[in-house]
Amino acid sequence: MGSVALRNIRKSYGAVEVLHGIDLDIADGEFTVLVGPSGCGKSTLLRSIAGLETISNGEIALDGAVINKLQPKERNIAMVFQNYALYPHMNVAKNMAFSLRLAKQPKDEIDRKVRDAAEILDLAPLLDRYPRQLSGGQRQRVAMGRAIVRDPEVFLFDEPLSNLDAKLRVQMRAEIKELHQRLKTTTIYVTHDQIEAMTMADKIVVMRGGHVEQIGSPLELYDRPASVFVAGFIGSPAMNFLPAAATGGTLVTKSSVSVGKAPAGVDEGRSVIAGFRPEDLRLADSGMPAKVVVVEPTGAETQLMLRMADGDIVFTTRDRISVGPGDTVHLQIEPGKLHCFDAETEAAIRQDAAGQ
Amino acid sequence: MTMQNDRLLAYFMILPVVAAVLAFVIGPTYNVGTLSLTKIVMGQERGFGTFSNFTALTSDPVFWLVMKNTAIWILGGTLMCVLVGLGVGTFLAIDSRMTTGLRALILLPWVLPDVVTAMAWKWMLHGQVGIIGQTLESTGLTEETISFLGDPKLVMWTLVVVLIWRKMPLVALILCAAIRSVPDDQIEAARMDGATAFERFRFVVIPNIAFSLTAVTVISMIWITAEFALPWIMTGGGPANASQIMATYIYQQSFEFFNWGVASAMSVINLVMLASIVGLYLYINRRSWASEGSK
Ligand SMILES: Nc1ncnc2c1ncn2[C@@H]1O[C@H](COP(=O)(O)OP(=O)(O)OP(=O)(O)O)[C@@H](O)[C@H]1O
Ligand SMILES: [Mg+2]
Repeated sequence: MGSVALRNIRKSYGAVEVLHGIDLDIADGEFTVLVGPSGCGKSTLLRSIAGLETISNGEIALDGAVINKLQPKERNIAMVFQNYALYPHMNVAKNMAFSLRLAKQPKDEIDRKVRDAAEILDLAPLLDRYPRQLSGGQRQRVAMGRAIVRDPEVFLFDEPLSNLDAKLRVQMRAEIKELHQRLKTTTIYVTHDQIEAMTMADKIVVMRGGHVEQIGSPLELYDRPASVFVAGFIGSPAMNFLPAAATGGTLVTKSSVSVGKAPAGVDEGRSVIAGFRPEDLRLADSGMPAKVVVVEPTGAETQLMLRMADGDIVFTTRDRISVGPGDTVHLQIEPGKLHCFDAETEAAIRQDAAGQ
Repeated sequence: MTMQNDRLLAYFMILPVVAAVLAFVIGPTYNVGTLSLTKIVMGQERGFGTFSNFTALTSDPVFWLVMKNTAIWILGGTLMCVLVGLGVGTFLAIDSRMTTGLRALILLPWVLPDVVTAMAWKWMLHGQVGIIGQTLESTGLTEETISFLGDPKLVMWTLVVVLIWRKMPLVALILCAAIRSVPDDQIEAARMDGATAFERFRFVVIPNIAFSLTAVTVISMIWITAEFALPWIMTGGGPANASQIMATYIYQQSFEFFNWGVASAMSVINLVMLASIVGLYLYINRRSWASEGSK
């Protein structure tokens, strides 16, 4: 079992509060990703759960038992660090065995566990190597092995892939996910890479400035972002935003371009932010006029930067299209894919009532 | 062609250093070496290629006392210096306002001149008027004033204590710097792995600073072997050779008794000892350098 409950977590460094009351429930076996821009408090939250930071206020519970006051070693939580934090003077086997050795487990037990973990992580041939003799990806795996051998209730990862090159990152991403499916250990994973978050998570927690912005499954966040921030953060390329106002049941931009139907409950004349994803746009004979600025074919899809009277937008399509810079195109938003946010609070105005 | 010119130029450039080393290091060493193998009677050289200086030296019972004292001085001094330095360095590595101030203050014993240190301690430890002995007596800790430098049983260890007072600060600072450079995440990983404070120190900090630790051990050993003013001014080797160490013995034999042959024989023994310390150091570090380079 390894369910984690965070209640009103606050953390201050001196007079500066960096976590402003975080509430979060993580079910046993869930893969939760904390994502957000740099400095939003992801690492601080993770380290608080690990016990490496003491929280100023609130409650951390593991399987219902409050663990705030416990030392890291008493929490039965393992952590994988961004820079691996391997012990340079111990070989791979010793690195992995360290925690078991400290726990005074019998020698053959330790050997068995280390061998099992090495088997899972493809480290068996490397057990005698020292960390400096390993590649980045191998070091990463050793760091994970060190966590696995302890068979903890919860794994914590703090941006474990950020030191790897792009290709290896994709590979390790899959390996971590596979590992999780195999071990089914509750995992909390910090990243600022939204692709990592989307591909790995059962549940994403979007953080911003020490607050939780939204919690949900990857597709929930993608389909129904709760705010402009989440909408802009999740998805790549990012969602397009245009300031607009509700006029006669449609959203109309300042330059009188209609972008789509206004959701129910938006009063006439209310100023809003209209959001739509680059991949939800279609070329049409009529619709929003835009001038092509840059065309970026990537093979599978083509990305166009377009200039509208109200701002620049991005449009991606899988069709082979024959437009060049300077051409004017007309775009329409797929039905039901228009997002609408309050101009002031930037919170989503739900379309539920409209019955899309 | 140019290759050859470059090489000539390179040799030419290092010539001054080579000459200086030859003149001021190899020359005197060679001189002492030959002197130690030369029999000298009444200031006259009487034959070369004899070990009579060495046999004369070792047959003198004072020699073995000197060797014992030197062992206490060098081995005891180095060991205590490094151990105390490690303890103090660990304390100084803690982040706090107090340690920041102490880090600067602790160098004070180290910047004082040898002579000042020696005189100050000599008077503080004096048998009749020394403040330390008097304080111990007046607080009732000892029956009568102890003469730290006058008691043959105590004198060597007293010297070692002063030596540590003087040499330990730099050791502590070097080790403090080394400890502070141990990556935080390793310490945190060890905390997650369940290591207690002592286990973190023993299994993570110490291996991480092993390189500095061996270097500082060898350097202190060399410093201490070369230290002369402190014991000479404080005791002059007395009482009755009870604190006679190699350095003071060599000085006394050569400049008070003019026993050049015996003194140079002792110097050669001293040199061999130092060379083996450095050799040991190079051997230990050869291993870590080699493994650093291998991929
Ligand atoms: N020891 C500290 N003392 C003071 N402020 C700190 C300390 N550690 C972190 N902070 C502050 O807390 C905030 C959150 O830091 P944190 O490391 O949790 O960010 P993060 O979300 O992990 O960012 P990144 O993605 O860059 O790692 C930052 O504004 C940072 O300046
Ligand atoms: Mg971080």
